[in-house]
Amino acid sequence: METKFDVIVVGAGPAGASAAYTAAKRGLKVLLVERGRGAGSKQVFGGRVYAAPLREIYEGFDKEAPIHRWVRKERVSLVDGNRMVTVEYESDQAASFTTYLTQLTSWMVDRAVNAGAVFVDEVRVDSILRDGSGRVVGIDSGGERVYADIVIDAEGVNRLLLEKLGLVEKTRPSQVALGVKEVIKIGEDKINERFSVAPGEGVSWVLVGAVTGGMPGGAFIYTNKDTVSIGLVVYLETAVEMVEEPIHVMVEKLRTHPALGRLWADGDVMEYAARLTPESGYRYMPRKLAAHGLMVVGDAAGLLLNTGYTFRGVDYAALSGHMAGEAAVKALEQGDVGEENLRSLYEKPLLESFMVRDLRRHRGIEWFMSNPEFFKKYPALAAGVASKLFDLEGEAPTLLDALRSSAKEHGLSMFRLAMDMFRVVRKL
Amino acid sequence: MSLKVVVGIKWVPNTQAVRFDPKTGTLIREGVPSIVNPHDLDAVELALQLKERYGAKVTAISMAPPSAIKGLEHVIGMGIDDAILVSDRVFAGSDTLATSYVIAQTLKRIGDFDLALFGQETIDSSTAHIPAQVAGWLELPYMYYVDRVEEVDEKQRTVTVRRMLEDRLEWYQLKMPAILGVAMKSQKPRPVSIYNKLRVRMENPIQVWSNKELGLDPRCLGLKGSPTLVSKVTWTPEVPRKKQVIEGPPSEAVKKLVEKLCEEGVLPFEC
Repeated sequence: METKFDVIVVGAGPAGASAAYTAAKRGLKVLLVERGRGAGSKQVFGGRVYAAPLREIYEGFDKEAPIHRWVRKERVSLVDGNRMVTVEYESDQAASFTTYLTQLTSWMVDRAVNAGAVFVDEVRVDSILRDGSGRVVGIDSGGERVYADIVIDAEGVNRLLLEKLGLVEKTRPSQVALGVKEVIKIGEDKINERFSVAPGEGVSWVLVGAVTGGMPGGAFIYTNKDTVSIGLVVYLETAVEMVEEPIHVMVEKLRTHPALGRLWADGDVMEYAARLTPESGYRYMPRKLAAHGLMVVGDAAGLLLNTGYTFRGVDYAALSGHMAGEAAVKALEQGDVGEENLRSLYEKPLLESFMVRDLRRHRGIEWFMSNPEFFKKYPALAAGVASKLFDLEGEAPTLLDALRSSAKEHGLSMFRLAMDMFRVVRKL
Repeated sequence: MSLKVVVGIKWVPNTQAVRFDPKTGTLIREGVPSIVNPHDLDAVELALQLKERYGAKVTAISMAPPSAIKGLEHVIGMGIDDAILVSDRVFAGSDTLATSYVIAQTLKRIGDFDLALFGQETIDSSTAHIPAQVAGWLELPYMYYVDRVEEVDEKQRTVTVRRMLEDRLEWYQLKMPAILGVAMKSQKPRPVSIYNKLRVRMENPIQVWSNKELGLDPRCLGLKGSPTLVSKVTWTPEVPRKKQVIEGPPSEAVKKLVEKLCEEGVLPFEC
């Protein structure tokens, strides 16, 4: 038995599922292959997804998708030891929601299957097949070959297939970050109460500073329906040099942090997960995103935005998959799956999309990630200023006095401070 | 006519992921994924070898809730030809007597099988009752701890199997149809292949039989048909660990470690 498909999608994450959904909905014969058991079984993310791109792809998204809570509160905290300075933004608008990625992904895969895609799990793709003239013609799995006009590579951050094709270099530690997280069950009502949110509404919280032991990176907290996701992201290269304790100990410290732990102290840890993510998507992008019979989507294409206070991966993945699905439809209509055509149908619009524009614009984050002292000194400075302003015993200083003396304590000149602030504003 | 083999599959919670609630003493099954009982995969593998050697047609059967379809898809992915899920609310709560009755009746309805293979036992209950009781219901020859099928003689309608005991090997010849319990860890179950998985999607090889098809007396099924009572369950208490890390070069660290273990009195000799 030898079967040929119009499109084979490798990897059933948000990118692969969306590619399969879009291509199948438009009448293509699609095979979606996943190594894990069941859809989304290997998925890990922080906890929040931006909705707008998904609404564009999936009809009835808001009604049907497994949405836990709409994010109505954004918090950013600078943490210094047990002290922290928090900024909160609250709005009646919600652009993003929390969910479990496994639920969201299996919902997407179900949609793809309902649209006619064939989904097989527990199957590892060993390589992407090329013919004598280098054109991609299908996949090899354990010596069995399945053919297709177009292969969409949605293999994720660990790009073994693209490496084999010679389209990307081996991933270096400087290009990726390690994310670890725990899911803690505390109950729906308690979440509403402790985070003071209405049912169906939630909090997204980013913390920087002592939570990573001063290493570049940060911590996150997201409220799900009846659980809280907490975790850390550290940048692999600096972490290797600076890390002083095992990462699970750091997660433990986050969970038991005096200012945070009481939010979930009575909860049960339900799940522990970890994954690699592209550090800065722009630098992780392959030289080209399409070749003859091949398109690259999602994390494999480096489509992850990290601005330091916002992480966007799932919606980018889904949107890139959707764009590749549409490009596949057009290319097959035109009867041309050559590199030039796929690049103009998929890569060009992608590079011109808001996603890649944002990735380019926020490259400044790389500078911060290579400057560990930002993550030590500034949270301490902020906490120092706040302490001088609020922990009053005698006279009350002005804000400038507090800033000046706190800066002095941390060995920062006012000039240096001003320069750094300028950089922050410009680069973030 | 070619050899016809049936393999029994149990869909079990992954006991490695199951935790006990120390307060109530019950299993915390929430969020625990189910899997095909790993010992059944030995039986699947042996059946697939018979398929390769004798062109046997292999059917998997499972008595389980509908979610077990995933398990049957898995074994079809390994190369099993087709599967029957025996699923009905009236079967819920069955002990091994009621379960073996349903499975025996399923085999009867399948009718023309030559061999029915089962795993040695299951990881969630470890009774090892089912194959023996199925053989009992059907009054068929039964051999357990089988690790190899030496020969199937289709003309004489016999099968020669080897079984592995702790201190010896034994060979038996059984009249077919026969029931075999396959020794756990005796085979190397093969991985799923993409074309076999594609068959699951494109050929629809899984049937579902409810009690409508089987027409069994409800008094013999589910809780009503189950005389077994679990009177008590205990589990190994968790011993809290002290989690101390001893720093320093290995030669010194080992000394400190031995000292500590002496202090704790856990070494079986005088220090």
